[in-house]
Amino acid sequence: MLLIQPAPAANAASGLAALLREVAPINPETSVEDAAEKMLEPKHAGLLCLPVVLGNRAVGVVSRQHFNSIFLQRFGRDLWGRRPVADLMNRQPLLVDIDQSLEAAAQFVSTRMGSPISEDFVLMRDGKYLGMGLVLDILAAMQSRVSQGARKLEDAYRQLKVSQSALVQNEKMASLGQMVAGVAHEINTPLGYVRNNVEMLQDMFGQMRDVLAQYSILGSMLADENSFDEADLTRQLQQASAAGRDLQQGGVLEDAPTLFEDTLFGVDSIKELAINLRDFSRLDGARLADVNVNDCLDQTLTITNNVLKGRVEIIKRYGDVPLVNASPSQFNQVLLNILTNAVQAIDHDKGKLLLKTEFDEQWVHVSIVDNGKGIAAENLKKIFDPFFTTKPVGQGTGLGLSISYQIVRAHGGNIQVGSVPGRGTRFLISLPRTSSNRATGLEAAA
Amino acid sequence: MNAPEARPSLLLIDDEERILRSLAVLFRSQYRLHITTDPQAALTTIAREPVHVVVSDQRMPLMSGADLLREVRRVSPNTMRILLTGYSELDAIVASVNEGEIFRYVNKPWMAAELRSTVEQASRIAIQMFAASPPAVDGRTPELASPDNAAILVIDDDPAVFSAVKDIVGYTQRVHHAQSLEQAFMLLEREPIGVIISELMVGRESLTAALKMLKSQHPEVVTIVMTPFRDTAVLVGLINQGQVYRILPKPLRAGPLGMNIASALRQHRLLSTSPVLRQRHVVEQISAPEELSVANRMMSFLGRLRGRATVRS
Ligand SMILES: Nc1ncnc2c1ncn2[C@@H]1O[C@H](COP(=O)(O)OP(=O)(O)OP(=O)(O)O)[C@@H](O)[C@H]1O
Ligand SMILES: [Mg+2]
Repeated sequence: MLLIQPAPAANAASGLAALLREVAPINPETSVEDAAEKMLEPKHAGLLCLPVVLGNRAVGVVSRQHFNSIFLQRFGRDLWGRRPVADLMNRQPLLVDIDQSLEAAAQFVSTRMGSPISEDFVLMRDGKYLGMGLVLDILAAMQSRVSQGARKLEDAYRQLKVSQSALVQNEKMASLGQMVAGVAHEINTPLGYVRNNVEMLQDMFGQMRDVLAQYSILGSMLADENSFDEADLTRQLQQASAAGRDLQQGGVLEDAPTLFEDTLFGVDSIKELAINLRDFSRLDGARLADVNVNDCLDQTLTITNNVLKGRVEIIKRYGDVPLVNASPSQFNQVLLNILTNAVQAIDHDKGKLLLKTEFDEQWVHVSIVDNGKGIAAENLKKIFDPFFTTKPVGQGTGLGLSISYQIVRAHGGNIQVGSVPGRGTRFLISLPRTSSNRATGLEAAA
Repeated sequence: MNAPEARPSLLLIDDEERILRSLAVLFRSQYRLHITTDPQAALTTIAREPVHVVVSDQRMPLMSGADLLREVRRVSPNTMRILLTGYSELDAIVASVNEGEIFRYVNKPWMAAELRSTVEQASRIAIQMFAASPPAVDGRTPELASPDNAAILVIDDDPAVFSAVKDIVGYTQRVHHAQSLEQAFMLLEREPIGVIISELMVGRESLTAALKMLKSQHPEVVTIVMTPFRDTAVLVGLINQGQVYRILPKPLRAGPLGMNIASALRQHRLLSTSPVLRQRHVVEQISAPEELSVANRMMSFLGRLRGRATVRS
């Protein structure tokens, strides 16, 4: 007999109970003729077979097909009519425990049912006969469930897509926030001394004008031979030199050359920052361009300078790499994420960051190696998962790497990672070379 | 010009040398300058000789400005501490208040004349502080006698906060509760409030201006601000114009709250007995128009409050 165990968590409301039809079973000793009579009763219309029960156990089923094959035979009725149904019945009926799930039952029934469908299934509980279930019913129930499920699935999928794009947006905002903090600091520092210097030089300039005015009065007094008054002249001389002394004592004069130099330096560094900022996040978003990954690294470094400065030693080993076709702003976002992670992983003051670029026939590789705390083996496979973070709440969203991964994949590239806990971590980003400059002749080899 | 010894001493620290050069020229004629990029060197100097004012950068590679100023406070509590920063970060602000008890928080780029007068003011106060108290041995100001009858005022919509404070304080101090600005005004008029524990918003009204006003009139009242609010500009205003004593991010935790209330009461006691110390809490004038209107509303009750304060001291 075919039996399947009820799933442990199955509940009666799962749907099978709804399919139950109470059918008075026949006894194995019932004659074929009487059984056929029963089968034809109107209340059994729609039922493909009748259950045969002994005690309370279903021992078989006898189907319309059985009866047909007998009564269509010549002398069929005479040969079989008096014999017990036990001789005719299918002794391996489809037995389904009513407490199992609709899905499991449907799967069981559909793999067992013959084609064309000739028998329904017996419903039972703990091996005791309860009634019959129609194959058609279970298929219909499943179908409606599947289409319901499909709709739910579709909804879920739509929602997922919405929330995913919200996530990407959030992560962008988060890294934007980080960047704004860094950039604001980077601009306000030179702005601080530039402004202070200019204010002091402005004061000094006013004093200089005074001195100049006093001396030019003195000059014209000396030039004017007619009104030569010695007392006036002495007073003017004293005034002029007093103004000169004030200027000297202000202390700005002697430092003026340095102050001017620093000011120009400051203005230039702000200018440079502005250029880098523009290159870093070109407004044309996802637009592709032929870019040099070395330039991208340098741009990202300027942006993160305030975090890196003094904290980590940066070692650059740039190769003379060919161009890659990429969205500069997206690729910079990837670099920013990985660099930020690397710096955050360094918890000692001998931090080093190795930035290396290389290439082969097909790929340009960027490797970023830190000597930070590393990633535990069990975390290594999770770091690209959205929301996986080991950082305290509020500090990490856990989206940095998952988004970086998506970006790099969308560029036809790959990110690999290797790490030794306590020693450091290496991220390797590989992007395909722009096809026009790919080494010719070697492509086929790979 | 003054003899060098008569000039107050000023320590400038920043990791950008151009900032230091620029500030040096600004202050050279009036102060004895110590200039360094190294926080350890700064602390050594401060431990070795009286330094009246420290102006420190926030983001430095070896130590943050807030951390440095916390150490400065420990080593030399009389030294006035000013943070000069390129970008306001919440954590830095909170730490510089709660641990560094700073005098001013100044943003880069600064106005030369303003910074000059801020430093001048700080140095005047520091000179008095150094003159009034013997150098502190363990960084603590000596305990003063007599718990007075100062009461605590909790200003918050949330009754849970009030009962939390009450639970902490027990019967040692009276605790009052105000759920609106008006109620707070009335209580301030009637009760000898020494410590205010306040939310920044009650109902729909901002309390920022009222807290600032109160401090400008009553430097001996100590304010603890609790807030879920993360607007750095508002908090900076509360430092410079409100000399807020502590900023506690909400949700509150009982442990730190208790410690802070205790030290706020101690601070209030110190302030009410020491006019020199009160000076340390002078505030900048408020300037935002929306804050000025609240300030005017406060004027009437402040007059009476002032009357009471003179009776008490
Ligand atoms: N260079 C690294 N060294 C050590 N651990 C790293 C490194 N890079 C990533 N990780 C680990 O991978 C986790 C996931 O990184 P991911 O950038 O996705 O999120 P996050 O940095 O935690 O948060 P967010 O990037 O949103 O600030 C990190 O929390 C950290 O545990
Ligand atoms: Mg990250």
